[in-house]
Amino acid sequence: MTKRILVYAALAAGAFLSVFPYLLVVLTAVKTQAQLSSTPPWLPGWPPTTDNLAKMLGGDFPRYLLNTAVMTALLTAGQLVFTTFAAYAFARLRFTGRDVLFWLYVATMMVPSAVTMIPLFLIMRELDLVNTWYGLLAPYILGTPYGIFLMRQFFKSLPAGLEEAARIDGAGPMTILLRVLLPLCRPALGTLVIITVISSWNSFLWPLIITSGDDTRVITVAIATLKDGIGVDYHLMMAGSLIALAPMVAVFIFFQKHIVRSVVLTGLK
Amino acid sequence: MTGRTAAARLPLRAVRGRGRRPGSGWHAYLFIAPSLLGVVAFLLLPMVIVLVLSLFDWELLSAPEFAGLDNYRRLAADGETWHSLVVTAGYVLLCIPLQTVLALALAMLLNQRIKGVRFYRSLFVIPWMATPIVLALIWNWIFDPRDGAINSALALVGITGPDWLSDPAWALPAVALVSVWQHTGYNMLFFLAGLQGIPQELYDAAATDGATSAQRFWRVTLPLLNPTMFFVTVTNLIGAFQVFDTVYAMTNGGPSRSTEVLNFRIFETAFKEFDFGYAATLSTLLFAVIFLVTVAQVRFFGKRTTYDLS
Repeated sequence: MTKRILVYAALAAGAFLSVFPYLLVVLTAVKTQAQLSSTPPWLPGWPPTTDNLAKMLGGDFPRYLLNTAVMTALLTAGQLVFTTFAAYAFARLRFTGRDVLFWLYVATMMVPSAVTMIPLFLIMRELDLVNTWYGLLAPYILGTPYGIFLMRQFFKSLPAGLEEAARIDGAGPMTILLRVLLPLCRPALGTLVIITVISSWNSFLWPLIITSGDDTRVITVAIATLKDGIGVDYHLMMAGSLIALAPMVAVFIFFQKHIVRSVVLTGLK
Repeated sequence: MTGRTAAARLPLRAVRGRGRRPGSGWHAYLFIAPSLLGVVAFLLLPMVIVLVLSLFDWELLSAPEFAGLDNYRRLAADGETWHSLVVTAGYVLLCIPLQTVLALALAMLLNQRIKGVRFYRSLFVIPWMATPIVLALIWNWIFDPRDGAINSALALVGITGPDWLSDPAWALPAVALVSVWQHTGYNMLFFLAGLQGIPQELYDAAATDGATSAQRFWRVTLPLLNPTMFFVTVTNLIGAFQVFDTVYAMTNGGPSRSTEVLNFRIFETAFKEFDFGYAATLSTLLFAVIFLVTVAQVRFFGKRTTYDLS
């Protein structure tokens, strides 16, 4: 009994720590400037105001949100298709140079991103793709080594017998992947989708470097610009943050089911 | 990498003979072709460019000038860089053990039959979704020495909290804490999946043999979590060595360089001093460090993988 109480106490404390900063964002986003200075950060200001949110949504924010959503959707689609193909090959097929190539992939995860940005920018400039959607998307749309590493681990956890049976029935690699393995991978794919959606939505350094106009500006860059523009107006800043964070929370609540199912399914074997 | 060790244990002929038809290899190349194009064009090529650049003296406005190993000689004598390596090591040692142990503990808590278990699983992952730029703003405020949440809470129990982000002794732990806050729940998911993959029969058998719960943890849970542990530690370490956004937005490397991790120093050298050649040399160093640490991990985990679960 004492143990159960301790378990619940630990979980409750952890849960509070997890959401506390988000609570601060929400509380602050609905404060007026006067309330911001007269109340401590963790207490609500009364009455709450929607002025900050309205001010943010009345400007260019919806446009940046749309840009971010389009970028996120395209990068996620690309990641799903190309990462799955590559991870399947690395996990389940044998071919010359497989281990060397996989090592190369893993090695690229070790490259400090802050510095590959310089050569990447130089390459994009050569290709005349600076400040275009192509330039923004190209480096990430063909899948990422991290995603491949992740999916490869999942593919390797599936029993080999499944494939052998299909192969005896005359199925080729493509059929095996699409008909046999992928349906079992659906939960893992859910995880891959979440990871990609969130990292695309939050990506900052590359969009900052490669885009300069409103046509391709994304929400993170807009918020950073906001920071320079309005200084310490925390209520506006947090309103912008709330607008940027809310879609991710929504996506997470929607996909959370898949993560849990992924966990349950892995447990079946 | 784990595949390599697993395959190495099988007799080679058995691998070649089993279910392999002539010409089946080219499918594999078709499968990896798109991602390979991406990796070569946008990761390997930039890597090569960085390597080449490290042999040049290039400050934005001047033309690149071949300098041979000059940058590397300069590196050997550069005390600030060694300082930033020490800072990086400190950051990694503060984050990784703490967040790995916490994530595993949380996963074990949430692997039980508990009311609202799905709700808790979701809540703990929420920090991971936060945008680093936004996150840094919020945490800077939480760490505020006067009306920040942490010191206000400490004051309630009569403790005067430190001046977190302006105190060279506390700034790095504070930044590390934010990283632990953000990544623990996410890693918990992988441990949870790993735990659920361990067959209950193994625990039953261990219990029949009279194993205590500590023995079950060390002899059953941990060894069988090896593939998960491998994935989690490799990716987290690689990430931690490259920490940038949080440092950039929270402390900007200060106070007195106490949070100047190597990746941040690279950024400063490139974009503030416009010393691209030397920045490329520094990133070669960072790459080498990460590479060595990863190889060490592969060897460590490779030796321990006695179960074909990878």
